[in-house]
Amino acid sequence: MMDIGRICLKTAGREAGSYCIIIKKIDDKFVMITGPRAATNVRRRKCNIAHLEPLPEKLKIKENADDSEILTVFDKEKLFEKLKIIKPSAERIKQIESMKAEKQKKKEEREKKEAEKKAKEKKAKEEKKKEPKKEEKKPEPKKEESKKEKPKEEPKKEEKPKTEKKPKEKK
Amino acid sequence: MVRPALRSRSLRRVKRKTPGKTHKVHYKPKKPSIARCAICKKPLHGVPRERSSKMRIARTKKKPTRPYGGNLCSSCMRTRFKEKLYKSETK
Repeated sequence: MMDIGRICLKTAGREAGSYCIIIKKIDDKFVMITGPRAATNVRRRKCNIAHLEPLPEKLKIKENADDSEILTVFDKEKLFEKLKIIKPSAERIKQIESMKAEKQKKKEEREKKEAEKKAKEKKAKEEKKKEPKKEEKKPEPKKEESKKEKPKEEPKKEEKPKTEKKPKEKK
Repeated sequence: MVRPALRSRSLRRVKRKTPGKTHKVHYKPKKPSIARCAICKKPLHGVPRERSSKMRIARTKKKPTRPYGGNLCSSCMRTRFKEKLYKSETK
């Protein structure tokens, strides 16, 4: 009963009560469906067979057919009148296509960002593995520097007595 | 004796333990009854049991987003849609 091109009524979820068409059979339990979205607001998605109620109508379409192809078949078979579905206008179809394009762009951007993040994390991990060996060597030269710095401070102490002498001269 | 307004049973009584370890009775407004399916009378999921003052939450958190959400349970909704379909087919 659940073949490609079969028209069904969705009986579960937020799209319940709207008609859809089967595009692809995934396994014994699941199928791929579309409204198409422009006509019935049902998205192209995976769906459990238990959530569908099949109708006697069946259309001749290819596996994974586009929404535009399905709409033309709907028109030929006069299903818009039979099922009392409002025929989508050209503007509505354009709107949905533009929305799809935006979604795809966002997906690509997300994937790029994720790939960049992963690459950065890998680099950071590799650097961390190399760094600890250098850190062990560094502390030794620091001690030498500290010894060198001490004599620089000593001349400053000598300057203080000079300031003490000045008030004596005033007297 | 409490004031006359609190003597009625329109407010529910809640026993509270104060920081000084004494017991006190607080008077609070009653909660509304549980939302039930209009057909089978089962309690509905996803509908919070709060007064309107505490229902300042997102629209999607007030009731299920499917058709008849907050009115019918999921199984009754399915049967209703199927009945509609068969009726239209017979016509």
